[in-house]
Amino acid sequence: MSKVTRRQFLDKSMKVGGLVFASGIAPAFVKRAFSEDKHAAYLNAKINWRQVEGTRIKVLVTPAHYFNKFRAITPQFEELSGIKIDFDIIPPREMREKAVLDFGAKSGNYASHTADPMYLSLYEANKWVEPLDNFLNDPKLTDKAWFDLDDIIPLWRAADSVNGKLYGMPAEGEATIHVYNRELYEQKGFKPPETLSEFMQTAKELNKIDGKIAGAAIRGFRGAGQNMYIWPSLFLAWGGKWFDANGVPLVNSEPGIKSLEYYCELLQNYGPAGVENWNWPEIMEAFAGVNVAQFIDSNSTASIIENPKKSKMAGKTGYQRWPKGPSGRRVSSIWNWTMPVNAVLPEKQKIATWLYIQWLASRPTQFSSAVFKENPDAVVRTGVNRVSIWSDPEYRKVINFTPDYADVVLTAMKEDTDSDWRPRVPQWPKIGEAMAVAIQAALVKQKTPKKALDDANATIAKVMKRS
Amino acid sequence: MLATSLSKKVKYQKQWERFGYAMISPGMIFLVLVTTVPLVSLLVMSCFRLDLTYPPGNGWVGLENYLEMFKDARFWYSIRLTVVYTAITVVLQVVVGLCLAMAFFRGFRGQGLMRVSVLLPMILAPVVVGLAWRTLILTPEYGILDYISILLGFGSKPWLVDPTWALVSVIIIHTWQWTPFAFLVFLASLNAMPQEPLEAALLDTRTSWQRFRYIILPMLRPAIVIVLIFRTMIALRAFAAIFSATGGGPGTATEILNLYVYRVSFNSLDLGYGAALGTVLLLITVGVSMVFFRMRRSSIS
Repeated sequence: MSKVTRRQFLDKSMKVGGLVFASGIAPAFVKRAFSEDKHAAYLNAKINWRQVEGTRIKVLVTPAHYFNKFRAITPQFEELSGIKIDFDIIPPREMREKAVLDFGAKSGNYASHTADPMYLSLYEANKWVEPLDNFLNDPKLTDKAWFDLDDIIPLWRAADSVNGKLYGMPAEGEATIHVYNRELYEQKGFKPPETLSEFMQTAKELNKIDGKIAGAAIRGFRGAGQNMYIWPSLFLAWGGKWFDANGVPLVNSEPGIKSLEYYCELLQNYGPAGVENWNWPEIMEAFAGVNVAQFIDSNSTASIIENPKKSKMAGKTGYQRWPKGPSGRRVSSIWNWTMPVNAVLPEKQKIATWLYIQWLASRPTQFSSAVFKENPDAVVRTGVNRVSIWSDPEYRKVINFTPDYADVVLTAMKEDTDSDWRPRVPQWPKIGEAMAVAIQAALVKQKTPKKALDDANATIAKVMKRS
Repeated sequence: MLATSLSKKVKYQKQWERFGYAMISPGMIFLVLVTTVPLVSLLVMSCFRLDLTYPPGNGWVGLENYLEMFKDARFWYSIRLTVVYTAITVVLQVVVGLCLAMAFFRGFRGQGLMRVSVLLPMILAPVVVGLAWRTLILTPEYGILDYISILLGFGSKPWLVDPTWALVSVIIIHTWQWTPFAFLVFLASLNAMPQEPLEAALLDTRTSWQRFRYIILPMLRPAIVIVLIFRTMIALRAFAAIFSATGGGPGTATEILNLYVYRVSFNSLDLGYGAALGTVLLLITVGVSMVFFRMRRSSIS
């Protein structure tokens, strides 16, 4: 094994990547890259991939398209390392519960899982997961130059760290952006809104413009990962802070109330019927069926919206960063699916798990999985974890939904958010639940925004004091 | 001689007893493992602070979790909802079930097919029922019920969106699914009724309402009490259909105690408090059933 410089390596991957587009058939490329080239890209790493050959581990994942792709190419890892990977595939909410129960019972069923970064503080507080430094700093386990941790989107790494230590490896992620019906915008002579009040104005004017289309949609469904995945951006855009210097919660401060009033006003007046129970799939489908004029949600919706077989909006959609709030800030979400290492595993399995995570998060795997077609209708991944891939012309070619899509998303990921976008404390599950209930209660007028937030603030104060 | 034969007999008896115990022990052990052990561990857990989100604070707290409930507004709200939900669904099931049973008791053409279709909802898994209602029946504009409501001129209703409508919706769903049980029990006991009093009643009463009120209803009393017991116990523990239809929302509008227990234990990861709430639900269920059983005994005597 000869040491290959980063430059040579990038060069090589680019060439291999170029093949995909030259041939136009991704599966053929993947086959070639993996079988003929025989793991060349991975053998450049100065580690022994086969050091725990014969080990078997189980990984818990969600049934999302990116993990379908990862699963589909995992046999290549098994061939490379001699490690056998089994998968349990369960939707996010149940997956989270299963992972926590597995940790709590210390049964070590799952070597790793697609974790929610918001849970890493909880995992760390219970010592359920290993700090990844242990693996990253061991030259036998990681070729630092080859793996190039710094290339992984910095804010995701920050979001996956507790007290400065990395506990989960970002495998796939997203940012929330503003997605709008370009035709309707042109028809009305609108420019993409610069501020949230302009956004409200466009929603008002587009609402029912053809008798049925809704002005705008954002997540209304109750859940820490649903309505509590959108409202925090509004809260921060109004200049909100989760806690004061003494750790007293501030969600019922003026920015909280004003932003929740905005959220309710937007959805109650210009949202589609039933939006109170909508999560991103419903929003995306309504937009793709021209029943919603615009929405703010994950950038990953683009790969479906731009698929003419699944959407009437292909080629007619615009993408831009969040409009600015009254504080002058555009605030996007921060999200990635992160892979931790279960702390109760025997040593050999820990190493096997780390090798798998390293393989999964590495540049070659991230690149080849992005365009891998696990079925004929497969969509492209819009959440690769590496800055270098985002700026790679070949990758940009496949996600060229609009000329500026890639820049919009990358800028949102880099500049429009921060790692403490939501409160990263072990008590997050309780806070997320209390806030989700409060936001929905205000939306359906069970409580006023102020009353809902007062109640939530009291609950959070109690939760934090109890600690 | 006699003594030895007696001791032999005793020995034999003892052996036989031991054999008996050996035979039932696997079943008993299994039963203890799946019922008694979880129950005891629930009670023990409810006296601990077992909060996964803040492990350093965990430990024995005695009755603190129970005292906590008095200050917990969400708990009291869920208790109120549980009472409303249980009372309305059970009454509706008895009334609608009784009407259906009376209709089928008379007999008419094509009643075999009708009988099967009335029973169908009960065969479905509650989780499927919740999802089917949420998507196929109550979706704004496209759902069957909403579509009918629009056709009839009532307009689209916020079935699962408005707090009051959402509660109405989950009550309708539960009633729709479980009325067949009441229907089945009532029809069976109507068919098993002695004919003589009914024939005599034909002569002695003037209206069919009188026949129903003074003859049939008193004779159905044991069946009604049985249905009340079973349906109340099930309604108190309802979960899957509400969970899949509304998740307890919007806000907390359909969050009955059982769903709140789930939220506390598995969303907020507060296992100790969740166990205490679960114990309260258990006590309520046992208490209500005991009242009904007493009613049943008095109705039999």
